[in-house]
Amino acid sequence: MKDETPTVFIVDDDEAVRNSLRFLLKSVGLAATTLPSAREFLDSYRQDQPGCLVLDVRMPGMSGLELQQQLNLRGAIIPVIFITGHGDIPMAVEAMQHGAFDFLQKPFRDQDLIDRIQRALAADKKNRAALTERDRIRSRLDSLTPREREVLTLMMRGKPNKVMAAELGLSQRTVEIHRARVMEKTDASSLAQLVRMVMDVEPAHTA
Amino acid sequence: MHGTAEFQLKMKAPPAGGQEPGADSADKWHAEEEGRRLQGRIMHVSRLATIGEMAAGVAHEINQPLTAIATYAQACNRLLDLPEPDLAEVRDALREIASQAVRAGAIIRRLRNLVRRNDAPKAPSGINELIKELEELMQTDARVHDVRLRLELADGLPQVLVDRVQIQHVLLNLLRNALEAVAELPPGKREVVVRTARTEDGEVEMSVSDSGGGMTPEVAERMFDPFFTTKEAGTGLGLTISSTIIRTHKGALGHRPNLPSGVCFYVRLPSV
Repeated sequence: MKDETPTVFIVDDDEAVRNSLRFLLKSVGLAATTLPSAREFLDSYRQDQPGCLVLDVRMPGMSGLELQQQLNLRGAIIPVIFITGHGDIPMAVEAMQHGAFDFLQKPFRDQDLIDRIQRALAADKKNRAALTERDRIRSRLDSLTPREREVLTLMMRGKPNKVMAAELGLSQRTVEIHRARVMEKTDASSLAQLVRMVMDVEPAHTA
Repeated sequence: MHGTAEFQLKMKAPPAGGQEPGADSADKWHAEEEGRRLQGRIMHVSRLATIGEMAAGVAHEINQPLTAIATYAQACNRLLDLPEPDLAEVRDALREIASQAVRAGAIIRRLRNLVRRNDAPKAPSGINELIKELEELMQTDARVHDVRLRLELADGLPQVLVDRVQIQHVLLNLLRNALEAVAELPPGKREVVVRTARTEDGEVEMSVSDSGGGMTPEVAERMFDPFFTTKEAGTGLGLTISSTIIRTHKGALGHRPNLPSGVCFYVRLPSV
């Protein structure tokens, strides 16, 4: 697993604002990367880079809100903290409705910004850990044979071995062997945990 | 333009070069003087209204250096709290704070120059210089409205005899109308161009073109009427006053379709 230090991305068209924010973050030991436009951020952004985004709402060219939409379209999980000038409150509301992590009005108290960045970085870490866990479960499920998959589906529905054997046209003994293999391959300690794992990565299974 | 007759305030020049007004024309002269003062006040109020409309953009622009100043200052406090603060870094931040304060001051000064009442006589001026003086303010206004503003200024234009503040007032009015005209378009398509050129007759033309949807016949017919406005908070005096200003400059204010879309308002002024 990669262990990259998180980066705070600062996207603002005003050079002085960008530099001052980088200076502040450096004074509290946070690594920051500054970019002058939404477009440049989008072009250089990598999904696997942990961190958070501090984004100006109002910029020439692609606005902060448009960048947020682009990121949403790409399924990006990076938390976005919007910073706005006065009178941009309706835009801030829109940003929050589209899943922004938080927003702050310029100028701000340094502690307010730092607190929000810390919370955003913690949220990002948690999201990434959850994604990694899901990836792990998914690859375990992918290692099941088609027959084991069938057994898993019936297990999810709570069918006893006898019923499974009849439905699949197998002996009870064979079903037991498949069942043991499923538990082993998925590394589940109980049927309850197995059900939780599967539902976590394949919500359709609940239907 | 029809419909403006009752509003037109006579703007005659005071009696020429040191010549005493005759006794019989003294009353007339005083009336004209009174009219001129009234007109000056109306123009001043209209200019303030235009500038008021731009206040949101200016506030946003001043907020940027203020944000930088506040952020640097707070970071300095943190650095100085460290057991062994890096004074060189603190000094860098202080230098930035000073330059951002100067920047905020410059924005306010630009605005104040516009607000100042100005009774300066007409003087030969370069139209391009006059436009460039306003460029930052216009760009701010355009940015707030998500509009791309371009300047295409022709080289080698003759000078024009103008009251700078009045002509800048006209330019701001035309710009604000253009920003309004493109507001309905998606942000990427909003474009306004300020141009200067020399006409075939040797006059100097300053124009503001927008990429908007053009004017309805009703608007086109009534736009020079006093108090006619399409803006929510407009005074309806912008174009009326602009056309009066241009008339007193012995020039012309008109409009033509802009290609491929929108409207182009132009001002023609005789060259010196």
